[in-house]
Amino acid sequence: MSPLGECPLDPGGYFVVKGNEKASVMSSTEMTKSKTIIRMEKEKVYLVLNAFTSKVPIMLVMKAMGMETDQEVVQMLGRDPQYATLLLPSIEDCASIGIYTQLQALEFLEKKDEGALGVLRDIFIPNIRVGGIKSPVRENNFHLKCVYVVVMLRRMMDAILNKDAMDDKDYIGNKRLELSGQLLSLLFEDLFKSMNDQVKFNVDKILSKPSRSSRFDVSQHLLKESITVGLERSLSTGNWDVSRFKMHRKGMTQIVTRLSFIGAFGSMTKISPQFEKSRKVSGPRALQPSQWGMLCPCDTPEGEACGLVKNLALMTHVTTDEEEGPIISLCTCFGVEDLSTLSGEELHSPSSYLIILNGLILGKHRRPERFANVMRKLRRAGKVGDFVSIYVNEKQRCVYIASDGGRVCRPLVIADNGVSRIKDHHMRELKDGVRNFDSFLREGLIEYLDVNEENNALIALYEGEATHETTHVEIEPFTILGACAGLIPFPHHNQSPRNTYQCAMGKQAMGNIAYNQSLRSTVSLNEAMSDGYLDLPFGLSSTAATDDENNRAAGQNATVAVMSYSGYDIEDAIVMNKSSLDRGFGRCIVMKKISAAYQKYDNTSDQFSSPCRSQHDQIQILDNDGLASPGEIIRHQDVYFQKECPIDPKGSMKSHPSQTPYRTSKQTYKGAEGETAVVDRVALCSDKRNNLNVKFMIRHTRRPEVGDKFSSRHGQKGVCGTIVQQEDFPFSERGICPDLIMNPHGFPSRMTVGKMIELLGSKAGVSCGRFHYGSAFGEPSGHADKVEDISETLVKHGFCYNGKDFLYSGITGMPLQAYIFMGPIYYQKLKHMVLDKMHARGMGPRQLITRQPTEGRSRNGGLRVGEMERDCLIAYGTSNLIYERLMISSDPFEVQVCRKCGLLGYINYKSKTRVNFKNISRFLLS
Amino acid sequence: MPKIPLWDLPELPKNQLPPHLYLQKTRVFCNNDAPTHTENIHYSGAYAALGVDNSLRLDEFRKNFKVKVIKLNEEDMEFDLIGIDASIANAFRRILISELPTMAIEKVLVANSSSVVQDEVLAQRLGLVPIKVDPRLFDYMSENDVPNQKNSIVFKLHYKCDRGSGERRTVYSHDLKWLPFGSEYVLPTESSSDSTSKPKTYTSFTSSQDSLPEFANNPITVTPGIIISKLGPGQEIELEAHAVKGVGKTHAKWSPVATSWYRMLPEVILLQDIEDDDAHKLVKKCPVNVFDIEDVGRERATVARPRSCTLCRECIREPGWEEKVALRRVKDHFIFTIESTGALPPEVLFTEAVKILEDKCERVITELS
Amino acid sequence: MEHGSYQDQSASTFSLADEDHTLANSLRFTLNQDPRVALCGYSIPHPSEARVNIRVQTTGDPANEVLKDSCQDLMLICQHVRSTFDQAVVDFKNNNGAENQ
Repeated sequence: MSPLGECPLDPGGYFVVKGNEKASVMSSTEMTKSKTIIRMEKEKVYLVLNAFTSKVPIMLVMKAMGMETDQEVVQMLGRDPQYATLLLPSIEDCASIGIYTQLQALEFLEKKDEGALGVLRDIFIPNIRVGGIKSPVRENNFHLKCVYVVVMLRRMMDAILNKDAMDDKDYIGNKRLELSGQLLSLLFEDLFKSMNDQVKFNVDKILSKPSRSSRFDVSQHLLKESITVGLERSLSTGNWDVSRFKMHRKGMTQIVTRLSFIGAFGSMTKISPQFEKSRKVSGPRALQPSQWGMLCPCDTPEGEACGLVKNLALMTHVTTDEEEGPIISLCTCFGVEDLSTLSGEELHSPSSYLIILNGLILGKHRRPERFANVMRKLRRAGKVGDFVSIYVNEKQRCVYIASDGGRVCRPLVIADNGVSRIKDHHMRELKDGVRNFDSFLREGLIEYLDVNEENNALIALYEGEATHETTHVEIEPFTILGACAGLIPFPHHNQSPRNTYQCAMGKQAMGNIAYNQSLRSTVSLNEAMSDGYLDLPFGLSSTAATDDENNRAAGQNATVAVMSYSGYDIEDAIVMNKSSLDRGFGRCIVMKKISAAYQKYDNTSDQFSSPCRSQHDQIQILDNDGLASPGEIIRHQDVYFQKECPIDPKGSMKSHPSQTPYRTSKQTYKGAEGETAVVDRVALCSDKRNNLNVKFMIRHTRRPEVGDKFSSRHGQKGVCGTIVQQEDFPFSERGICPDLIMNPHGFPSRMTVGKMIELLGSKAGVSCGRFHYGSAFGEPSGHADKVEDISETLVKHGFCYNGKDFLYSGITGMPLQAYIFMGPIYYQKLKHMVLDKMHARGMGPRQLITRQPTEGRSRNGGLRVGEMERDCLIAYGTSNLIYERLMISSDPFEVQVCRKCGLLGYINYKSKTRVNFKNISRFLLS
Repeated sequence: MPKIPLWDLPELPKNQLPPHLYLQKTRVFCNNDAPTHTENIHYSGAYAALGVDNSLRLDEFRKNFKVKVIKLNEEDMEFDLIGIDASIANAFRRILISELPTMAIEKVLVANSSSVVQDEVLAQRLGLVPIKVDPRLFDYMSENDVPNQKNSIVFKLHYKCDRGSGERRTVYSHDLKWLPFGSEYVLPTESSSDSTSKPKTYTSFTSSQDSLPEFANNPITVTPGIIISKLGPGQEIELEAHAVKGVGKTHAKWSPVATSWYRMLPEVILLQDIEDDDAHKLVKKCPVNVFDIEDVGRERATVARPRSCTLCRECIREPGWEEKVALRRVKDHFIFTIESTGALPPEVLFTEAVKILEDKCERVITELS
Repeated sequence: MEHGSYQDQSASTFSLADEDHTLANSLRFTLNQDPRVALCGYSIPHPSEARVNIRVQTTGDPANEVLKDSCQDLMLICQHVRSTFDQAVVDFKNNNGAENQ
């Protein structure tokens, strides 16, 4: 990858469409939505199917499918009279309308809807084949379908009789994730079929002509780019409008935010729900216990999408579809008895279990546990796909085998009788690089379990806690967190919402994007940023400890003193040391892409233009070809691009290109006034229409200023309140001067104990010269340092055990009246910077129609004195200010009116002196 | 404390504070929870009710003030200032950090830079490189001044990593070459003018700097060994760096010290005799070996090296120990450290700092009269 | 710049441009040590303006004079510090030189 200029660490997972990186968002659905509903209404059971115009009594359906006797249905439902009682109203209902045979039932249905038998065969529970390609012997044999309906009925009745048997809609095992592959395949199918139809239509039209001049060639009539264009359009807009599948979804893709590596990575693990977010429901938003290890418990946005939008955990794998055929034949080999050989009574016999593969009833098995174990052994041996799950549900007396796509699963260490299969020598080999994760998986030391199969496993958190019954051991507890939450050191000491806030904020931190970040330009964001100097945090977090995070840092280690200082630190503001900023703390580089193009016209085209040096100063950064050269310093209003445009692009077809008149066209740089930026790169390329495109990357290095936003890794954001000279800053007995001062009021209500431990750990790490670790839940396994150990290290190096130092005031020179909690904390600079936001205006542009000030910062718009601002001014008593703002500033307009005719006019200033203005007078409109 | 009737109190000697007040005036008490009595009592009439004059008399100051140099080499210096107020010691520290002028690179003219380090970052790094030159020999350059031999120093950096070598190469600060004749880059506006006269460059030196007696046999150098950039194969850096005089207040690169600070002299007092096991415990507790054990029949703890106390408060952390050991700081004894960046030796820095404070006073006096 | 009244010269505020805690805090010390001073203090009105205001109230003498004297005191202190320091450095160098030999 690297010789080609690509970052070897880039995880991929996104599309590059029209120069933008677009990641498709995974969406979670509630299992595959079936179109068949069996519903109980007023004690009677009906079948609701879209193909039928109205609901159909279930017994009628059973009879239509050939199960004529009520006894058979009741028998299959189970011997327990409870079930029969529940079904009785339906049976009576069927009898009351006088339908007893299959023929009668079909006639009844046919009367309502045409082709009822066909509907029952092809649309009703279509996953169960009633003949056709797969089993020609079973032509129109509805027995399996009847069985399926009865199983459905029984499930429903179980739920009525016993609330516990209800399925949980929010259970992760009942959800499937839709990945971009599935979405794309739908889209492709639609586009392909549309194209075929179109081609067919065109070809038919041509073939229907009586005489043709040339030989017919279908390939000539294939539409060239319809599929490409369609795919591109959907990916770049994110709108999936597939009318063939009644799919109209928006926001399926997102621009990858390239602010930091983890931020980009985190945005690709995002899962959004399919239903609309405005619903006021708590169920789907709540943390699901089945989410453990699969979806991150922290990483979810605040506000309306809270709890609905989720993120994958570190080790989660999302399955893809797998062949069912081999699994079916394997099952039959291992003693699954075919349903058609079983009588109705046996269906629910307590001695045997139903075997269900992806919702398809395969048959029954007498020894389900043994069957499940055999299947699992086959999986560990690699004979069946790694991600096939075998789940024995004892309550429902079923064995579920799942091989479908979209399930989430995660790896676990297999344990035999409570002894982990991974031994010390395995770990040593892993460290030496002889083994890797895949070899562990191949040798059956590790396996993937999905949410359902986890229910059959007894998973120990640590090997030491395993008992005899334990079947699996967790790889590492911190893997329950996602990529963003994994960045927080000691997250298990923090108040939970703080971790959630940090997950949202970590995506805004500026940092290294990839190894090739200096090369990225044409395919990347409009704006990308990175810090000048980045550190690896002294206090490492979960993911940092496992990954090689060095080159993906997104912050710096700042020596923080937790104290009050100067009064410019209220409301979470931080005070920064000017000397630290001078030495490079918190600097960032903002890249901005501007493009320009040489247009082509019918006969002419834009030309290069060599700037005339003797003109004014604004063009001095231009090269001789009229393009700004790389490395030049560019300021506001500087010309960075100059070309020659034909004055009349359309006309003069005949005239020679050299004779067409040209005019010079310039593009000026619009940046912050008073700031200097640098032209980083100039790229020439041609676009779709073969025009020459020029892309300028403008680089702007910024040092922190008052109002820039910073954050530690614990959801503690704050703006820079003031910047203070180093000599005014407090200093310790060792001469250490903090880089920034944070107000202690940030701690009590936020309860971010993790931040305090990070400070302690980093301080100890700095003094003893090794990294201290802060993995989530890492203390028992040694992946996080204990506070006691940290304190011991601190004391050994002459610091106080609690991290508080004796500081002298830099202003008076006397000691401070308290010991100050001081040490390094990893700080991130967030993308919100004052320079991009500050805005003020005295006079400025107005809208043409209303003559009101324009709106927004980009248009140099006005600032509204709203209701509350007005209240303030009234309370303050500045009546003249209010009068001016409300009466004079906006509305009045001076016009010229003719005294004779009363019409409005305007003064032509050029002819002011000569024209007779006696009759015109000024008039103030307001 | 038992109540003692007022008339039973012992007579106090004149012109002397009672011992506890004296202690509070002269010592910072570093208790386990927080330091107390950190403030100096400046007001001359603070103890007037006790008949004690708190005002400062210069002769007394002259008598009591002492300086003791502990360590001194080209870069670092540690010395004791005894018998001076914190506000003045602090003023020296502040001046050292922010108001002593040095020379530092302010302008970088980049002719070619193909390394991965951006020009701005490169310039910032160059700015922080300390230049070993006495700033007193140069003038400040104000806005309208043209750079000349009296107010600027020009360095050249031209470094190339060959494409064939296949190795990365590191550019160090000592690769900066001093140009005593000033800039070699010709102003762009001058390029078209007549070639006979000497073309105008970015600086207008009237004479070469190495003709000056100070630099004749003493070329201007920078602190060597500082990594400036790293070059990959085929990359090149060619630039000119112009250094001017400035103070640390404007930018930290002009600060003549890496840092400079003081600490008050630690005083460790054993309030009770600590013997045997407790003594061993105490010795073991201290990470910097402040305590020793002396054998006077019984083993007794003594304070051997109070100066090395870092105030980790480990000795008084456990309950009960605060009554046995007192950690204090002497308010008028400063252990002052100067870490010079190399422009001037630390002892010169300090005298210069004191001079600047004098100048400030003089300025105020002239302004007032 | 001095802000005071002509009637009562014993109280004044002096506004010093381009100065900060360095001088103001030292002056506060020397002023406070002067028995003629009843009250003194200083403030920096705004952090983005390089200016300190020093308030001096005396027991009767003109504040202006007292401040000047304090500056004088401070200067004398500095001179003494300098001479003592230089002597100490010389002594140290001599001693060390002797030790090295």
